[in-house]
Amino acid sequence: MVRLIDLPKYEREHLMSKVQPPLGPMVWTHLNREIAELRIALITTAGLHFRDAPGFEFIDSTFRPISGSEDADNLVMSHSSVNFDKVGFTEDVNLVFPIDRFRELEADGKIGSLAEIHYSFMGAGLNPEAYVTSASQVAGLLKQDKVDAVFLTPV
Amino acid sequence: MTTGISLVRENAESMQPPRTLWVSFPLGRPLGKPDDAAFQHRVIDAALKLLRAPSGPVLADFPEDAPPAGLNDAPACPVSFSKPTEDNDSWNAALRAELQTLVPWHDLGKRRRAGRSLVGVSGYSMTENIEKLGTLLDNETLPIAELKWFKSAIEDAKVFYLEALTAQPGRYNQEQLERLFWHETALGTAILKFNKMFTAHAELSYMSRIIVPRTVLT
Repeated sequence: MVRLIDLPKYEREHLMSKVQPPLGPMVWTHLNREIAELRIALITTAGLHFRDAPGFEFIDSTFRPISGSEDADNLVMSHSSVNFDKVGFTEDVNLVFPIDRFRELEADGKIGSLAEIHYSFMGAGLNPEAYVTSASQVAGLLKQDKVDAVFLTPV
Repeated sequence: MTTGISLVRENAESMQPPRTLWVSFPLGRPLGKPDDAAFQHRVIDAALKLLRAPSGPVLADFPEDAPPAGLNDAPACPVSFSKPTEDNDSWNAALRAELQTLVPWHDLGKRRRAGRSLVGVSGYSMTENIEKLGTLLDNETLPIAELKWFKSAIEDAKVFYLEALTAQPGRYNQEQLERLFWHETALGTAILKFNKMFTAHAELSYMSRIIVPRTVLT
């Protein structure tokens, strides 16, 4: 488990080097309806993409669209870090990108709908500021898709 | 609006995203446990509930630890790996021989996963990648003009091995798999040799850090 106190010193120091101040004043949006009415998109920083899409570079602030209608079992991972477990993802894509769980929530009426397109970044080697341009592009695309809320997953 | 998961509480505390659920799971496993829909739903529900918070930033702790990743009494690996010795085998031959012992297991695992495999990011077959990696080592050469291929070939090969090993009887946990791969396979030894060669290279020493985990080097 990732409690820093349980990790070796070198790993603790590496993760603490990622401690950053807030990017700016916090933006807060109040929920003005039920979760069951929301249109939700998934965004991961796991460096996922479909097999025929270009892989991520060693450091890379671009993103890859992940169509919600395609089979998520065809997703592969080209994250440049070797310092996390990839075995679990080989067993179940939902461990990193819980698309089937959200499809179940949609089918059960617990969320309103799923976005047409989800998004994947590769979170390694760059500070958050490097992602401003591509994150702004994704924000615009999410608006076009009428997405109300985004579910963020790291790796 | 956003909600999401954090694997490192200290990072979420400092950056203060509007709504974050901290989970105590290992890096690489943000939803906790593969093939456990009920557990994954509990994580998602806890993060979605944060959308109802009246004000923020909100940083909540998920109350459950992830179930164990594997059995603690996993058997010794039934496949006997043979690393190349100083004067006998070439790296090319040793890596190709090792690959052949794992192909049936990889095929079995792939069938169990209904054809799913993460191998293929490099765009080349395992045989092509393994032969090229072996030849590079036999010539004591670094792939200076093909670093992207090299990184993806190594990742493909590691994933292939892990997919094959997890298809064998018994279940290895993550720690056991890592130990087996890095200390008992010719490929693990080969990547460590590349790591040393890159470490000694004046301009490409950074490559050494993105092919071998910190846990193996310290």
